Amino acid sequence: MTKKTTLSDRLWYLFLAAALVLPFIPGGIGNSFHGHVLTMVLLYAAMAQAWNIISGYCGQTSFGHAVFFGIGAYGAAMAVVQFNTLPWYGAPVGAVVAAVTSVLISAPCFKLKGHYFAIATFAIVEIFSRLFMIWDWVGGAIGLDYPILDDGWRNFSWSSDKNGYYLGALALFTLIFGVVRWIESHRMGYYFRAVREGQETAESLGVHSTAVKLSAMALSAGLTALCGAFFAQYNYRVDPPMVMSLDISMKFLLITILGGLGTFWGPLLGAAVLIPLQEYTRAYLSHLGSGVDLIIFGIIIILTMIKQPMGIMGIIRGVTRRTSTVPAKEGDA
Amino acid sequence: MTLLEVRNLTKTFGALMANSEVSFDVERGSIVGLIGPNGAGKTTLFNCVAGLYKPTSGTVTLDGEDITGLPSWKIARLGVARTFQVVRPLKEMTVFENILVGAHMRHRETAKAAEIATRCMELCFLSSYRDHLSGGLTIGNKKRLEVARALATEPKLILLDEAVAGLTSTEVKEMVEVIRRMKDEGITVLMVEHIMEAIMPIADKLVVLNSGVKICEDAPRAVVQNPEVIRAYFGEKYSRRLRTEGKEDDHGCDA
Repeated sequence: MTKKTTLSDRLWYLFLAAALVLPFIPGGIGNSFHGHVLTMVLLYAAMAQAWNIISGYCGQTSFGHAVFFGIGAYGAAMAVVQFNTLPWYGAPVGAVVAAVTSVLISAPCFKLKGHYFAIATFAIVEIFSRLFMIWDWVGGAIGLDYPILDDGWRNFSWSSDKNGYYLGALALFTLIFGVVRWIESHRMGYYFRAVREGQETAESLGVHSTAVKLSAMALSAGLTALCGAFFAQYNYRVDPPMVMSLDISMKFLLITILGGLGTFWGPLLGAAVLIPLQEYTRAYLSHLGSGVDLIIFGIIIILTMIKQPMGIMGIIRGVTRRTSTVPAKEGDA
Repeated sequence: MTLLEVRNLTKTFGALMANSEVSFDVERGSIVGLIGPNGAGKTTLFNCVAGLYKPTSGTVTLDGEDITGLPSWKIARLGVARTFQVVRPLKEMTVFENILVGAHMRHRETAKAAEIATRCMELCFLSSYRDHLSGGLTIGNKKRLEVARALATEPKLILLDEAVAGLTSTEVKEMVEVIRRMKDEGITVLMVEHIMEAIMPIADKLVVLNSGVKICEDAPRAVVQNPEVIRAYFGEKYSRRLRTEGKEDDHGCDA
């Protein structure tokens, strides 16, 4: 079957090629602030896409993703700081622990529908953040500080030239977007969306909706944890408020909703708008106090939602529909 | 050969008895109509068979296997597909994607599932709406989408809950044609229906419910002459008129 998404395919490969070439042109990434911003855009896009799996495609809004992000971050940091080994071992362990945790949390919570599920996940973040605060083995409230390590892929750490981090973020981005791209065109993707659009209807078609939701959650949590591991490596430290706060949970949500919930490009578009904004306001408006970025986030999202609930993707679709020479006959004869 | 066997099925909601000791059989390859006035418990019975409700007591047997109280997704996988009386399109998905969800039940490979889905889409006259979002379809198309989606699970038995009600006369004809095609494909049909023109010519047997109790089970011709059915279903007035008309007809024949 020839699919209609060829334009999206072309955009995808074009984007990856451009992103891959960027660090190799002189003055591309290096140690510049813009390089940092680009790295963060890729990281947050990847995080938002991981969240999009359970909340966008599968329709189960989670405010709890900071927990899985945090577990991933602690996975990498514990490997380096406590076990004196490589983050490469910590990251997958963190991903598995996050996936298992997500299943244990969700199994009872999926009995709640709609908003009640969202509220339950809200509480989970608080619980885990307190737990990590008082847990001495993982550094308690002080957190874990990385020792000085040699630069390079082995330790996944770079102190002067940050190209490595950029490429690492690009790899993570490619992995998560690639997974979602694969899911979209396979049975799992159709089942995710069917559960979102109508659980009872999906079940009447043989879909075991609880199993589908749990697998979406586990996958989403595992991938989120990998992003957390990257975040720990990048910042060289972890503490509970940094990775397990509602602030972080909200970012997953805001980026995806701004870009377009349940769409493939939405998380990237949302991150491309909000993350530069976050980083530049932090750099230039920090004297106004912390949280200025979140205030601006909020205003942008409210304005977008009033105009177009499907976010930037909705706006783009509206424009392409209006300007296309052959108007798509929506609705019905 | 009996495909579906319902025995002494009772379903209560608190003090309300929706179904009481209902028993009937559905023969393999037949079309069985389930009729009765509003509130007779037809949809409740459907939901009990399809697993959306757990029966309070009684058994449902499919192909000799007890399926009473199984979750609906398991019953679907065992070969019972259903449509909903109030249509439930997966709104933000296209017509084809809706059907594809059903087709994926027996085929992990999307290519194979797409093949099945395309056939079901054609069978239900939906090909020209392939890439339309299902939320924007007319009611006639939505009802046929319900059927196409259920059909895509390749069921042994399909439960149609008022698939014809609310359609225009052209749409009714199309739907009746769809049901005939299903029978030709060897699928057994159990259908709830109010529109007698739709069900009379195609049903092999009618089961009549009134206030949750089965009052009659017979061939369509016999059922419409059953005085209890006429009273319950068509009302006292209509039944009197039918009787007098019948007498006049007899008289006419004699003359």
